[in-house]
Amino acid sequence: MANRLEIQDLWVSHEGKTILKGVNLVLPLGEVHALMGPNGAGKSTLGKVIAGDPNYQVEKGRILLDGEDITELTPDERARKGLFLAFQYPVEVPGVQVANFLRLALKERLGQEPPIAEFYARLKEAIELLDWDESVLSRYLNEGFSGGEKKKNEILQLLVLRPRYAILDETDSGLDIDALKVVARGVNSMRGPEFAALVITHYQRLLNYIVPDVVHVMMDGRVVKTGGPELALELEKRGYDWLKAEVAGA
Amino acid sequence: MIEVLPANPEKLAERLGEPGWLKEARKGAAAVFKAVPWPDRKTEPWRYAAGRLKNVPFDLPLALPKERSLSRDALPAVVRKRLADADLAGFLVFLGPDLVYAELAPELEEKGVVLTSLHQALRSHPELVEANLYKAIPARQKGNAEDKIPALAAALWTYGAFVYVPAGVEVEKPLAAFFVSEAEELEVSRTLILLDDHARLAYAEEHLSESEGEAVHVGMTELILRPGARLVHANVQTKNRASHHLYRQRALLEKDAALKDLAVNLGARFALSEVGSELLGPGADSEMLGVYFAAGDQHHDHYTLQHHVAPHARSDVYYKGVAKDEGTIVYQGLIKLEPGAQKTDAYQTNRNLLLSRKARVESVPQLEIAANDVRCSHGSSIAPIDEEQLFYLETRGIPRPSAENLLVAAFLEDVLGRVPLENLAHHVARVIEEKVRV
Repeated sequence: MANRLEIQDLWVSHEGKTILKGVNLVLPLGEVHALMGPNGAGKSTLGKVIAGDPNYQVEKGRILLDGEDITELTPDERARKGLFLAFQYPVEVPGVQVANFLRLALKERLGQEPPIAEFYARLKEAIELLDWDESVLSRYLNEGFSGGEKKKNEILQLLVLRPRYAILDETDSGLDIDALKVVARGVNSMRGPEFAALVITHYQRLLNYIVPDVVHVMMDGRVVKTGGPELALELEKRGYDWLKAEVAGA
Repeated sequence: MIEVLPANPEKLAERLGEPGWLKEARKGAAAVFKAVPWPDRKTEPWRYAAGRLKNVPFDLPLALPKERSLSRDALPAVVRKRLADADLAGFLVFLGPDLVYAELAPELEEKGVVLTSLHQALRSHPELVEANLYKAIPARQKGNAEDKIPALAAALWTYGAFVYVPAGVEVEKPLAAFFVSEAEELEVSRTLILLDDHARLAYAEEHLSESEGEAVHVGMTELILRPGARLVHANVQTKNRASHHLYRQRALLEKDAALKDLAVNLGARFALSEVGSELLGPGADSEMLGVYFAAGDQHHDHYTLQHHVAPHARSDVYYKGVAKDEGTIVYQGLIKLEPGAQKTDAYQTNRNLLLSRKARVESVPQLEIAANDVRCSHGSSIAPIDEEQLFYLETRGIPRPSAENLLVAAFLEDVLGRVPLENLAHHVARVIEEKVRV
């Protein structure tokens, strides 16, 4: 059971309303999976619940990280075990500089103060990969960032913190094609046997640049279909209605 | 609360070898103390603190000087720790009411700069003291409940600092005074800082405890800024949680004088800090910053006064408070403009951050304007710590106490960033960090 993120029969409610209704999903290390589905299917909720958002109540089921049940762990404990959520709406934190924040986060990730040289090497490499400027490091975290910059900043954090499992929640939304390519380049640079990603998206467009190994489709709080990359193309062509009919008929 | 002063002010004056005018001033103050009632909820700065006042043991014995002195190596550990990362041109250390150590760079002494105890100054610079003491905070007040504690302080003070910078002299590195409280005493201090024309000084006063015992400190500080003088002044209180700390400060700013003031309350069980600037000359500028953080059952109460008498002066108050656990933080402030104070710029901002639902906060900014051609604004805000920001930081592996600390530091960053005493700002930030984590 090691080397995978596994969701087992996960039921979740928010403000009294049940949103996830028995999600099952396995993300093995070394793979990139796409999670697609219509609005309101519960994709973003799943991302937040995996990260440990306290606004959601897990009614039933488990989340296993490398075989360990993390369902009851706090968000920071999960992150230190190698989990990362790139937010759909990154939060502005005025007064906290990007560089200071990253150093503190990396210290927690590594369990010790990172050597200064290594820290700056990671920063420099990540900033170059994202076609960015070092001036971002002295800015306050996401404050006054454009929508595209906020998404880039999520990927910057991903590159510096190097988690084992990353969930990218609609990182493509609001990006123009150039920004999309930059973000995809960042994620693709992480690919390898020690990294897995769950890419949540509405559109097939991102998947042209981050080609998934597996595609899952969520509807009404459950994963209703799992297939290869061709499933994303089919959804792009035919929409979700045929799948709805198929699920209803089953 | 006491009805009779714990010492006879005239005998005190004799014992301390003071001149006749001072004995008379003490006598007058004692008469005011006798005549006025203790502050209650209706007394202006005491609206939220009157309840706490009842628990202050004013009946502790008055701290009397014992003529102790110490070598630099034998100074209290809390002071040595502070000296290790400070870069000072001179400093005083008071242990209880005794000035136990003093040093001042010889080149400053040659220029006529004075850094000593007020009693020493009564002997070495009697005319300067007589002309300026009780000028900003009179010994004989108008005579209402607000004056009860200042009257006690004027009648009974037994120690304090005296700082003088002659005309045109610029002191580059900061000076400091460390006041280390001792337990089970009523400590009453008075500090006088006098900057002559176009003098410049940065001065930080720190109030610390060496032990965990209960103590009461009543402190009055008078700042006199002659025309063109520029003073950076900080008052930082980090005492033990059994302390009661009552502090009043008044600055007199003449033409083109500038004060940049920082009031910090982090320690004590109950601290009341009243800081006021009187803008007496055109071009005067008073910037008053405040940082406070109440945890446990601490109560930190602040009052600011921007009193504009002259036209064309500017004042700006920026106070920020944090409360966690069942801490109480209070800010009250008054911008008061006299009819002659045309072309005034006066601003007042108070912001508060709450780390717990049980913390209590009050914020009462006020304007009293008798001039019509002025620019004034005031604002206040109270907000709980942002759960979305916390969650975001936590998902990056930062544990909640560290995330809270990061957000508190971010909240206070703009105040501490405005203090031109970098070492002191770092020290304050460190103490705050410890408080967030505990």
